[in-house]
Amino acid sequence: MFRGLRVPGKGIRPSPNPARERLTRVGGRLKISLLLAPAVLVIGTLFIGGLYAALIQSLGYFPAIGQTEMSLSAYREVLSSGYFVDSLVLTVYVAVASTVISTTLAVLGALALRRSSGTVSAVVFQIPITIPHLVAAVGIALVVSQTGLGARFASALGLVGEPSDFPALLYDKYSVGIILTYVWKEVPFVALVVLAGLRGVAAELEEVAQTLGANAWQRFWHVIFPVIAPGVVAASLIVFAFTFGAFEVPYLLGQDFPTMLPVTAYNDYRSIELSDRPGAMAINIIIAVITALFAAAYLRLSRSLGRG
Amino acid sequence: MTAKLEIKNLSHRYRKGEEFAVSDLSLDVEPREFVALLGPSGCGKTTALKVISGLLAPTSGDVLVDGESILGVPPERRRAAMVFQKSLLFPNMSVEENVGFGLRMRKAGREESGRKVADALRQVRMDGFAYRRPGELSGGQQQRVALARALVTEPRLLLLDEPLSALDANLREEMRALVKRLQREGGYTTVFVTHDQEEAVVLADRIALLFGGELQMYDEPEAFYDRPASREAARFFGATNFIEGEAKNGSVDTPLGKLRLERSASPGETTLTIRPEAVRLDESGGENSFPATVSSATYLGTQVHYELEASGVVLRAALPPHVRLKKGDEITARLPAESLWALE
Repeated sequence: MFRGLRVPGKGIRPSPNPARERLTRVGGRLKISLLLAPAVLVIGTLFIGGLYAALIQSLGYFPAIGQTEMSLSAYREVLSSGYFVDSLVLTVYVAVASTVISTTLAVLGALALRRSSGTVSAVVFQIPITIPHLVAAVGIALVVSQTGLGARFASALGLVGEPSDFPALLYDKYSVGIILTYVWKEVPFVALVVLAGLRGVAAELEEVAQTLGANAWQRFWHVIFPVIAPGVVAASLIVFAFTFGAFEVPYLLGQDFPTMLPVTAYNDYRSIELSDRPGAMAINIIIAVITALFAAAYLRLSRSLGRG
Repeated sequence: MTAKLEIKNLSHRYRKGEEFAVSDLSLDVEPREFVALLGPSGCGKTTALKVISGLLAPTSGDVLVDGESILGVPPERRRAAMVFQKSLLFPNMSVEENVGFGLRMRKAGREESGRKVADALRQVRMDGFAYRRPGELSGGQQQRVALARALVTEPRLLLLDEPLSALDANLREEMRALVKRLQREGGYTTVFVTHDQEEAVVLADRIALLFGGELQMYDEPEAFYDRPASREAARFFGATNFIEGEAKNGSVDTPLGKLRLERSASPGETTLTIRPEAVRLDESGGENSFPATVSSATYLGTQVHYELEASGVVLRAALPPHVRLKKGDEITARLPAESLWALE
């Protein structure tokens, strides 16, 4: 009975043409794939190709020395050796210590600087990021070695007798020099991630919490931390993965034995015995697997924190 | 629970050398009173509210609650709950946890807290949503929860910073009624910031009009229509007719002739104002009437807006739609004595 009131074509969405929509969708996907192709090609060749080569060598496929049969013997040998276990323990210790210290200092630093101007945080946090790890390692060595600036200052201030009495912080069993370098380099990285979260909605939520009667600690624990947690977790995951697998700083500042896993793998790789090569590759694959496992666990945690 | 709020000579600027965002503001808000801080954006109303809440420290002046200065009291101990333009619900907490936040921070007992949260949710008609996350609520529902979260703490002062401006028109009207009802029932001393004069008129017992950080007028809503304090105040409330003249012997000499006012003006030069909807057509030519020409007409459905020209003065008139005039018509207009107001 209301047919007369209807105006054909007015207020009604025109019926879609499914074939045309599908074509547009396919065209869009093709465009994205083509745009991504160069990056995927480079990453695929260098990363996945490299990983594949390492994997088959670790399984004993090494035609250069006449080995073409695949087996897990390199893994058995590596996992049963004492030096590997010592190396693994040292690596986990350095990576965990560097991550925990960096993250804690970064969160405290970001909380302290969150109300400062952008210039202050740029100077404090962004400059160390631009300095390569290698340069940072040399800088730390110049400051904390027993002949370095720190030792001379401590001696001049009467804190130690001679500069050589300064505690050995390089090439030591606690890897203090390595951890210091990582902390110096990674605090700014984590802090910038935290700072971005703090300057966004967290600042407004904190004001609300304050007017509702929350004191400084309650505001941090109940309001700010849950907001910044996904960022903190993601950033600390990157720090952990990096410090677990990085080579140059432990190579420069680490003790001779045990060495961290990447240095152990490098030493085995450089061995004059080509038969050590599958063992070196097995260590590399183990590093990759451990890092990937941590990445997966952290990402899962990060997602559940994000959901609150 | 209800408190008297006094703001004394309050000034605030964000940085040295900058202009004052709020300048020498003084206001008294009586217990249980609902005051609207009204003004265009950037007039300093939110700054004033943040100073009252303690989120900003004033450059000078004082804020007193029940006669005692609260400047030294941190925001978390002022019991001045604030609701913002955005609902700002804690995203990691359910609706129930959000509403109970203030009570938990105060370490209220679980039973007391549960009862008060349930009551507050019922008051804002959100009792079926206790376990939802903020992301699962609409904008209006989120703002209702934010309101409940503030009220459950039984604040001495309720500070509302444009809480309805992000909502669409229908929802805004519904929320206005809710805010008004809750404020009346709870008797909270309330300061409400808004740039919407209609909202201020509907909700507030008194309105403080701010321009450029300075208080222009502080009075009951009707006064802003009947007896505005300044040309700016009159214009903000839609009075667009200003007639210059000189007051003597109880009437005012103007280019339109001698106009009589019901409320006499002090002698000397003055500006008269009248609202467009108070202008009348009067063929009988009584008191305060004069010939005028229609220079434009705009049909708005429920009203027609006319521009009338008389002796070099342009007047705006809003007349009901059944009076249909067209450009060029010669008419007799009348300015009723009871609707004319002489600005100070």
